[in-house]
Amino acid sequence: MGQIVDVNDLSRSFGGKRALDGVSFRATAGQVYGLVGANGAGKTTLLKHLLGLLRATTGSVRVFGLDPVRDPVGVLSRIGYLSEERELPEWMRVDELMDFTRAFHPTWDASYARELLESFALDPSKKVKELSKGMRAQAGLIAAVAHRPALLILDEPSSGLDAMVRRDILDAIVRTVADDGRMVIFSSHLLDEVERMSDHVTMLHAGRVTLSGALDEVREGYQRTRVRFADHFDQPPVLDAALALEGGGRLWSAVHNEPLDRFQHAVSALGGEVFESRHATLEEIFLARAGRSRQPVEAA
Amino acid sequence: MTPRSPVTAVLWETWRLTRVEAAWKLAGGIAGGLAVLALSAAFAPADDPRRHEGFMDMGAAIAMTILALLHVGSWQSLAKLNGSRAGFPLYLHFWRPVRTAVIVGLPLASVTAMSAVIYLVSALVLRVASGYAFPLLPVAAWIAGVTAVFVAAAWSTRDKTLPVLVTMIAFAFAWTTVVERLTAVELPDGFDWPPRLWPTLFDFPRSDYAWLTLVAVAAVAVTVAGVSRQRRGDAWIDVASAPRDGFWDRLVNVFRVPCPTSSATRAQLWLDLKTNGVPVLTIGVATALVILLVSTVANPIDAAINAHPDVSCPIGECFYVRPWPNILTPFALFAMLCLGGNAFDIRRRQGRAQMSAFEATHAHGTAQLAALKVLARSACVLAAVIAIGVSGWLSVPLLGDAVFIQMWGVPVSSQLAAINGAIAALTGYEQISLVIVAVVGLVTWVAALAVFGALLTRHSRRVILAASSLLLGGVALALLAGAESRGILSTPVFDAIVTAVRWMFLAAMALATVYVCRSGFAERVLTVGYASGAVAMTAAFAAAWLTVLQLAGVRLPGMSAIDAVTILSPALLPLLVSVLAPWSLSRIRHT
Repeated sequence: MGQIVDVNDLSRSFGGKRALDGVSFRATAGQVYGLVGANGAGKTTLLKHLLGLLRATTGSVRVFGLDPVRDPVGVLSRIGYLSEERELPEWMRVDELMDFTRAFHPTWDASYARELLESFALDPSKKVKELSKGMRAQAGLIAAVAHRPALLILDEPSSGLDAMVRRDILDAIVRTVADDGRMVIFSSHLLDEVERMSDHVTMLHAGRVTLSGALDEVREGYQRTRVRFADHFDQPPVLDAALALEGGGRLWSAVHNEPLDRFQHAVSALGGEVFESRHATLEEIFLARAGRSRQPVEAA
Repeated sequence: MTPRSPVTAVLWETWRLTRVEAAWKLAGGIAGGLAVLALSAAFAPADDPRRHEGFMDMGAAIAMTILALLHVGSWQSLAKLNGSRAGFPLYLHFWRPVRTAVIVGLPLASVTAMSAVIYLVSALVLRVASGYAFPLLPVAAWIAGVTAVFVAAAWSTRDKTLPVLVTMIAFAFAWTTVVERLTAVELPDGFDWPPRLWPTLFDFPRSDYAWLTLVAVAAVAVTVAGVSRQRRGDAWIDVASAPRDGFWDRLVNVFRVPCPTSSATRAQLWLDLKTNGVPVLTIGVATALVILLVSTVANPIDAAINAHPDVSCPIGECFYVRPWPNILTPFALFAMLCLGGNAFDIRRRQGRAQMSAFEATHAHGTAQLAALKVLARSACVLAAVIAIGVSGWLSVPLLGDAVFIQMWGVPVSSQLAAINGAIAALTGYEQISLVIVAVVGLVTWVAALAVFGALLTRHSRRVILAASSLLLGGVALALLAGAESRGILSTPVFDAIVTAVRWMFLAAMALATVYVCRSGFAERVLTVGYASGAVAMTAAFAAAWLTVLQLAGVRLPGMSAIDAVTILSPALLPLLVSVLAPWSLSRIRHT
């Protein structure tokens, strides 16, 4: 499968704040990539670099082998994008929005757009300003996917939407991905959504990539293990192998990416024993990775 | 600063938001006033005391007009918080536990007081610098009253039409009242409000201050009531239940032309014409019709008023309606040129200015996008200007000569045939040259405004610094001119300074063109096709410019090098602006 996105050592600051710090990210066709991270982690900044809305000051960005700033036509003609703010011209009617977007994309699939309009029950004669937030997201999504783009970029696609609309959007994305050779990159802070939809996950924290890989490998690589110590601990015990520890007294739960036998060995050294272990959820991994950066002493 | 109460917090926020605009108004008023006074002093004929005095008086009057006009309209630093939309711009306070009277009254009082103080300080500085008795309290009180009405009109409703109407009526009322007071005494051989009479003329009756206070209090009350509705959500409910578009939005939807889907260029052109072009054109055509209509009915109305036995006029017949088309036409033309700004459609909200991500993420080359936006806006501004110009031209014979003689001492109506004859006497090439200069000049103007807006958005500090430096440089040159005319500075030294400045300007223009071309090609913002078009347009403009210079009697061979280069330099402007347009759009599209 061909590599579509290649971000190499990308850094970007706004004023004194480092929004991205040496980020490298690669994505290949036919996969769904989820970007997760807390607010301000740098997800939107990274996506804007892929669209050429931000200029790479350090490092490089290549999409379809092209620089999105130097060759916006070559890149944007093959991308569908839904912004977090759902920024659409308020005066346009839904059908005008479709016609306008269609003019930019010879591959526009009118029957697919009509089908989506019907499934979302959107009135084509309504103006964008008259649409609710969810309907606006649906209209933006149709405009983004109806030309069957090679790369679909969704920035917080389900932010602020109710469960029904969220499901509709997810369905539409799944349909898009079902077509061979297409790729989706989406950002979200809803970890269950990322876990359900993604093939790959990239975790950003404070502008850095803290974790990146195939979702299954990530999940298999992290475990949540319950530990019983002989001694009572008021503070988390110093356990180098653990990314995060929570609990109290003698019973503690640890998230770790060490092999279980090595972890058991470390626990034994502190007079403890492992009595339960399972694969960690993405949320537990995320909290552990983010917490480690925030509270290095505790994690150490 | 740590605000310790809601009152200090609101005051602090208002100050933080408006302080830059306040500084600009203060600096602009003082610098502009001083520049006008210095220019008057520099160019007033020293050998004729009477004309010298008239020149200086006129300069002082213009300086005072500048100080007052700076306060026409609402405060832009607050208005841009909600993208200059109608309604209360500090709406984020709605979620704070503070009474509406506080969140409305304090900012309104602050900006009203600030407008008055800015005028007072500026007038005081000009008073000290020039010795003219610039009026203080009376004009400051008027400015405060009018500002309160302007702000109240802008904040108290979400309807876009009402604030425009109220602002126009308030301005017209204030203007006519002040002009009526100042021109109550007709002075022969001079304009009616010379500075020596200002202390008397501006000694407004106390009832004025009472009325102004009443108006200000009413403005606060109306605004608090209006914003309370917005805060309660009543205004939102109105909008939701019966969607009413704003004035501009209504204009956007005047012509329902379907979006072409055959090409991206046509679709983008459709979008730009709908959002940027057609509203301007509609305003222009409507204004042209109003001018023509008023011109048609002006004579009968004036005749009827003058015939009324209760009307007494010191100059035989008075002009009540007839001057308005003459006043409205140049104002309307100027307004159309101003509406040519923001061709790149930069949006401002809550202190952020940016290009619409919707347009930025469509597959268009930046050069093509810039050209489409500028050309669409230019075409509509040009059509609007032509409509108003034709309307003004047609209105001249309808109004008759008397009004022109009264206003400017010139019988324009009888000169129409001469103007027609002069144009008819030109060769076809000369006529085409005039048209090319006018059209390319207008496109260059629209593009220059777009470039300025884009650069101000992306590099605001640097642009403000550059603009301030240019302004200060202009004031310094004006002061030097004054010093030279009074013999303080020797003429050769002054000429050397002016020549050096002109060379620097020309060199900067040429270097900027080369730099932006190089940078634009290196970043692949400029394409060969676009650059060829820009060069062709510049060549056509240059040839037309030379023809127009010849028509105006300018003879280049006898000129000094600097004079010749200066007079030819406008020919470079279309090229400079053409390459700057995509370059600057690229700065806001790819930040």
